[in-house]
Amino acid sequence: MPEFDVVGKPLAAVGSQAIVTGKAVYSPDLELPNMLVGKLLYSPHASARIQKIDVSFARAVPGVHAVLTADDIPGENSYLYWYPDQPLLVSDQVRYQGDAVAAVAAESEEIAQAALEAIIVEYEPLEGIYDPEEAMQPGSIQVWPDKGNVQSHYVDHWGDIERGFVQADVIVEGTYSTHYEEHAMLETESAVAYLEPDGTVVVYASAQAPHRDRLQIARALGLPEAMVREITPHIGGAFGAKDEANIQIHAALLAFETGQPVRIVRTREESIRTHVKRHPARIRYRTGATKDGKLTAVHMIAIGDTGPYVNAGEEVMMVMANYGVSPYYVPHARSEAYTVLTNNPICGAFRGFGVPQVTFAFERQMDELARRLEMDPLEIRQLNGLKTGQRFQPKAIVRQGDGMQACLEKAAQLSDWHAREKISRQPAPHLRRGWGIAASFHKSGFGCDVTDHASAAVNMAPDGSVLVRTGAADMGQGAHTVVAQFVAERLGVSPSQVNVYKPDTTLAGDAGASVASRATFFSGNAVVRAAEPIRKVLLDLAAEETGADLDLIDLGDGFVHVEGERVNMPVSDLAGKAYEKNLPMQASGFYAMDYPDAELPDGSSGYEQLASFGAHVAQVLVDIETGQVEVEQIVAVHDVGQVVNPSGVRGQIEGAVSMAFGFTFMEELLVEGGKTLNNSLESYLIPTSFDTPDIKIGVVELHDPEAPLGAKGVGEPPINITPAAIANAVSDAIQAPVNQLPLAPDRILKAAQAVVEGGMDAS
Amino acid sequence: MAEINLSFSVNDQKMEVSTEPTRTLLSVLRDDLKLKGAKEACGQGDCGACVVLLDGEAVNSCLVLAVQAEGSQVITVEGLASKGQLHPLQQNFIENWAFQCGYCTAGMLISSYALLMDNPNPNPEEIRAAIAGNLCRCTGYHEIIEAVGKTAADLQQPVLTSES
Ligand code: FES
Ligand code: FES
Repeated sequence: MPEFDVVGKPLAAVGSQAIVTGKAVYSPDLELPNMLVGKLLYSPHASARIQKIDVSFARAVPGVHAVLTADDIPGENSYLYWYPDQPLLVSDQVRYQGDAVAAVAAESEEIAQAALEAIIVEYEPLEGIYDPEEAMQPGSIQVWPDKGNVQSHYVDHWGDIERGFVQADVIVEGTYSTHYEEHAMLETESAVAYLEPDGTVVVYASAQAPHRDRLQIARALGLPEAMVREITPHIGGAFGAKDEANIQIHAALLAFETGQPVRIVRTREESIRTHVKRHPARIRYRTGATKDGKLTAVHMIAIGDTGPYVNAGEEVMMVMANYGVSPYYVPHARSEAYTVLTNNPICGAFRGFGVPQVTFAFERQMDELARRLEMDPLEIRQLNGLKTGQRFQPKAIVRQGDGMQACLEKAAQLSDWHAREKISRQPAPHLRRGWGIAASFHKSGFGCDVTDHASAAVNMAPDGSVLVRTGAADMGQGAHTVVAQFVAERLGVSPSQVNVYKPDTTLAGDAGASVASRATFFSGNAVVRAAEPIRKVLLDLAAEETGADLDLIDLGDGFVHVEGERVNMPVSDLAGKAYEKNLPMQASGFYAMDYPDAELPDGSSGYEQLASFGAHVAQVLVDIETGQVEVEQIVAVHDVGQVVNPSGVRGQIEGAVSMAFGFTFMEELLVEGGKTLNNSLESYLIPTSFDTPDIKIGVVELHDPEAPLGAKGVGEPPINITPAAIANAVSDAIQAPVNQLPLAPDRILKAAQAVVEGGMDAS
Repeated sequence: MAEINLSFSVNDQKMEVSTEPTRTLLSVLRDDLKLKGAKEACGQGDCGACVVLLDGEAVNSCLVLAVQAEGSQVITVEGLASKGQLHPLQQNFIENWAFQCGYCTAGMLISSYALLMDNPNPNPEEIRAAIAGNLCRCTGYHEIIEAVGKTAADLQQPVLTSES
């Protein structure tokens, strides 16, 4: 294992001093002279035709500086996440409860509110379509006049499932469902926009994808992208909700119109009403295995309700299909995903991106198989876990699969899996204890043939301090801390000497979105590459100055080291010398993932994909009289490559497990007739300090040369498998299948009751 | 609406503001006094991001009218450090990674500070209870609970003076 000075060591997070003193600036904290308050008018209906919009009264309210409708948008009136189907301001037909009709800018919150109330909109309510399976039927109400409600039907398949099922000794089938989940990041969507004297539109926004936002803002304004600048200050959480552009576009439009700075901050109610949710999914599985437990065939069909606008919906559903059988090897597979349009809330990016739903379903299948075959749930996973070189998608094979067995083994060991039968399964007459296991597979990067890259720039000043410019947003997951550590490591300075600029589209190149647990990997690689030429200059100078051989020289703790011995030559002196000698102390780095060619089992050509693995074990205690579940422990083991910062890794894992706990038990966004019913943090409950289970973390450090200094991301894998592990544990405890999330007490009682009445097979 | 004059102390400094009587303490702190540390994440008492100390008691400042602070002592997150020295709670929050995005941190710190004033030696359950009204969506709370426990232990240490 490589030796590092900075990487792998505990280090305070970048920006933490500002955070604990209350000085960190988030978008809602920004103030500019003459700043106006922006607000949007949202539709009270989920489906309606707009007969008339009259903004004349609103415009006449004293203190109102602008009231915009669709007609007032200088450029394109649409978002552009993937398709330009969602209007920024709707003029003809409302298709979901988050559609905005008008935007106002006024001198105060109260005046802006008064302006909204003065806008007259006549709606003709229309019948909507609110059930995805109904929406798929021919003749159902169509969300769009010119296309059907099935937005896409994506299929991943290989082998021949008919043959695979014939080879099976046992076949299990099941139907699973999951619910809407709301991100509930503490800071709602917020932005401040203003104009520079040269006409540049500057937008401070709480955003995960500043460069994609810039494109959308420029389109809406009808300006070249180079005239738009988005900067992300501190971000108060995102989890996918800020992957799509939102009110930063409206703030820019209003600033453009009024010539004054405009701030928009969504209220909690507006935030829940408008932004994308985690897709509720209905998933059917059919899984075949030999009597020894080897999987022979899997057929999965997932239906995802995506709402009326595509946003990231098609991609999420594609990912659901992509992860339909992983992390297990299946010779014959067919994984299908339908993206269905309805008038329900839009669904899109949410930490895990479709994987938690499908993993929950497939891991329940694995346990069902184990039960039928009387196998240990761990053993069936060890037997089928993906290995190096095995196919997991039509064209992709696993580049390095050792992580799977390593994670399972470590999870078993940390949870004392093999000794679990020594612990009472029925500690009291009304209590039942159970254990569940689930495994994870996570691709590093989006995959072959997809736009997926990052760039970064590094500059060492004459005093040896370092500036890093990255377009990668840090929403609190620690991306900038990781970046600072990488640069410090390569340039031999202390991380406190490294200043990571807040992402700014004018100063930094595109790093892509901070999603898919990719920031560490992609931006990490980009900064390491950017640091390299500077490192080279420093090393050459050090060789010249010390007379030592170049390959005996290293940099660390701010000094030159020769043959591992620190010599009295500070890196800062070398930096100064470099400037004197006209040597470049500035460089940029670019990274796109390499997908080496590979031959697939059927002789066709494909590629190798790098991935990380994980395994969780949940131990639960179920009260069969009340249906209440106590999660006694979650063991969470992940293959993180090189740990960059132990506290950061712990934070990502614990935070994701906690969020998954919420998803599993308590968080359900209720939607009726296209409207969300629990639009507040009083009615939409997320875990509090009392709701967080004991978590035991294990890491497996498997290095891959492609990973930046060996590190891989871990933002999502823990959320993907926690619900599955818990559901398996609850099923094990009550000896009855629970196939529907959330695991509400009444569902658990019903499942437990069915067993009492009809035996285990009553499902 | 007629404005009224208020005077109260914020972080040991006397403040005079003239404001409409319907405004919340949070809004006066943030918009008039430009103390942006306390956050508004719900505006209705559900999240604790806006917690400040009002006469020694942790309150959701989005639910308190500014007039209720008349003549009172208010402490916000900006007032925890003194003379550039971080309070041990702040130091331990940093060292223990008791936050990620930091949006809940101002409220968490003040709720924890109020707890330690009342109960210098809280057990983990008491810490959980003290921050139960402070939502955090990023961490799993464990790091926060540990940071508070560690601070309590630090503060119990006898202070070493130069004579000792
Ligand atoms: S903003 Fe005051 S409790 Fe949420
Ligand atoms: S650190 Fe983000 S909400 Fe607590």
